[in-house]
Amino acid sequence: MSRWNQRKRTLALLGCAALLLCAVTVAGLLFQPLAMETDFANKQLAPGPGHWFGTDWMGRDMLARTLTGLSLSIRIGLLTAVVSALLSVLLGVTAALGRRADAVISWCIDLFLGIPHILLVMLISLAFGRGFVGVVAGVSLSHWPSLARVIRGEVLQLRQTTYVRAAERLGVPRGRIIRRHMLPHLLPQFLTGLILQFPHAILHEASVTFLGFGLSPEQPAIGVILSESMRYLTTGKWWLALFPGLSLVLVVLLFAALGEGVRRLLHPASAHQ
Amino acid sequence: MSKKSLLSLLLTAALGAGILTGCQGTASPSPTPASSAGKDSVVIAMDTNSEPAAGFDPAFGWGAGEHVHEPLIQSTLTVTKPDLTIGYDLATGYSVSDDGLTWTVTIRDDARFTDGEALTAEDVAFTYNTVKESSSVNDFTMLDRAEAVDETTVAFHMNTPFSIWPYTMAVVGIVPEHAYDSATYGQNPIGSGRYVLKQWDKGQQIILEANPDYYGEAPTIRRFTILFLEEDAAFLAVQAGQVDLAYTSATYSDQSVAGYSLTAYRTVDNRGFNLPAVPAGTDAQGQAIGNDFTSDVLVRRAINIGIDREEMIENVLNGYGTPAYSVCDQLPWYNPASQVEYDPEAAAALLDEAGWTLGSDGIRERDGVKAELHLLYPSSDSVRQALCADFAQQLQELGISTSIEGVGWDTAYDRAQSEPLIWGWGAHTPMELYNIYHTSADTGLAGYSPYANAAVDSYMDQALQCTDLETSYELWQKAQWDGSTGVTQEGDTPWVWLVNVDHLYWVREGLQVAEQKIHPHGHGWSIVNNVDQWSWS
Repeated sequence: MSRWNQRKRTLALLGCAALLLCAVTVAGLLFQPLAMETDFANKQLAPGPGHWFGTDWMGRDMLARTLTGLSLSIRIGLLTAVVSALLSVLLGVTAALGRRADAVISWCIDLFLGIPHILLVMLISLAFGRGFVGVVAGVSLSHWPSLARVIRGEVLQLRQTTYVRAAERLGVPRGRIIRRHMLPHLLPQFLTGLILQFPHAILHEASVTFLGFGLSPEQPAIGVILSESMRYLTTGKWWLALFPGLSLVLVVLLFAALGEGVRRLLHPASAHQ
Repeated sequence: MSKKSLLSLLLTAALGAGILTGCQGTASPSPTPASSAGKDSVVIAMDTNSEPAAGFDPAFGWGAGEHVHEPLIQSTLTVTKPDLTIGYDLATGYSVSDDGLTWTVTIRDDARFTDGEALTAEDVAFTYNTVKESSSVNDFTMLDRAEAVDETTVAFHMNTPFSIWPYTMAVVGIVPEHAYDSATYGQNPIGSGRYVLKQWDKGQQIILEANPDYYGEAPTIRRFTILFLEEDAAFLAVQAGQVDLAYTSATYSDQSVAGYSLTAYRTVDNRGFNLPAVPAGTDAQGQAIGNDFTSDVLVRRAINIGIDREEMIENVLNGYGTPAYSVCDQLPWYNPASQVEYDPEAAAALLDEAGWTLGSDGIRERDGVKAELHLLYPSSDSVRQALCADFAQQLQELGISTSIEGVGWDTAYDRAQSEPLIWGWGAHTPMELYNIYHTSADTGLAGYSPYANAAVDSYMDQALQCTDLETSYELWQKAQWDGSTGVTQEGDTPWVWLVNVDHLYWVREGLQVAEQKIHPHGHGWSIVNNVDQWSWS
């Protein structure tokens, strides 16, 4: 291990994190039928050999439910992160290229950042009729402003660089300048932003579902599992909240590590350490 | 670590903290009075939904509506006795004209409001004319007007005959004409009932004290306090010994608390699925109505006998419930012919007869169509969710493929027109049968789930028109099953009734809770209907 330089170590870490997250996603998909299966003969079992995470009030296996929930969260996270990252690039670039567009979009960014996130997610989710569509819409339509602002700043800076100005003087069309000279420069910010959007999206999906504005209660989503477990905490059913909660934290940390790693690899200042 | 990952960690921590504090947050209605100090007071924990949002005004639902109970602060003309027949409170007698259009009620002359004024027939007439105008929870369209004939006689002029009027009279608390202002009465009620509202800390507690001028037997419990607590907070309050009686649910039934016993009361608080009895289509507004699978009466009958209600009670209610066979089990208007035995073989035979034969995958098919049901439950109710899941599982065993979905009440009523939804009913009036099974004039179908049977309609119309309660009970029973048609197993089975959910309470040792009427739907004020007769030993 000591012979590896930091770049290699980061790459290995990245690989591990990505692999683990993929494994969770696939396992969740495979466990989906088991997660919905009720078995009233075996309800409220403490963690043991047959059920590593115990069972809940309807005898459903908590390991299967946790994995399915995380898988669902990761998939929702993926979808919403991609949608909101694309949205931010689009808006960020547009804002940076025209003064009037900039005024409108900056105002929108300020507006969205001014409203508490969770409130916004709830409102949008409700407006889209809750459920899967509601959550995805809610999370993706509320997470673009911060990345959009970063990208806008970056583009403004890029416009002042000599090579872009030279290209402009040479009469290169604007679309070509964006494609050839600007987008490649934005890639690191975009990728890092995309990956760091994940933990946000997952946590917000969990919170909005926890509060009852997201997925329907029979769905094995982490938010649903946690809010159900609340009812049983006073009677000492600790495993209903502990394992799913810890797993959620773990997944979020993995994504954070992934994002950090990608940033290190792509950022010019640290790429060659 | 970047700011974003730090932030995400913080959010996680906040979520975790929310979980940990969530159960504490509601557990602190701070001015908890010292409990069971005296032998004539009692502290009761009720769920937070039981706090009357509009106050104690009968015109705005106090005592009446979906969750009926005695209004305590006000008197009523009649009362329902433990066997759910009619007794008297203010009334000393009543009669109805032969055409059923005039009810004459005589009232006692010694009742006084707590402000000292006498309660007269004028007040009664005023109350009924007021609730007819403004009641948002009860239907008073059958009443034309109420009129005071003299000091102690009141006449109700009806638009249509309504034989079960005495049951309506049992839920309307009488308010004073001289001191009634609809804007303020709910907060400062003046009545002639057993108790007086002493204090109301909104969102926390209500304190009631015995009315010293009460005309009837003086209450043994002189003062009772009601705390409004979430289920887990109520349980914690029991563990801390802060309350004498607290509502609870099957979730906590495996627990035990020193000094308290878990007491279950029989109810008609039933849960059942509607089975849309017409083929799928759309109504005049273009909304989906009907269900091809459940429109076959053989399928509905198969479901009714193919469900093991006892297993459901064991599984979901931890044994605290009774099988339900109708919306009104054990009430005077219940027809025992509704009862069915669990018989999976016969259910399978019925499905075979209907043409739904078992496929290789264990799911029944007819003409290449799979037997499928999408079941709905209100997403806010975990007991109904579990009942729905158990029901779905039992249908799978019959070879019917099922899926379940939680829905909000904003869409549930509409969706139940085409898909089975798990409902909760149970009231101290036969009107509920009418509401569920009688067709409405404009659609020709029953309101909550599409169904129509002219014979059933006719029995219920007759029941409302007859002038004698005893005879009306028989007609209500015939509406359920008359020997050849009805809504039972041999009849149309447009609903399948599953269980009556027992109402569970933690009761402090020494507290003697008086005999309870069979509880209606709603796990709230019913328990204190006769709190004046409770005692400590």
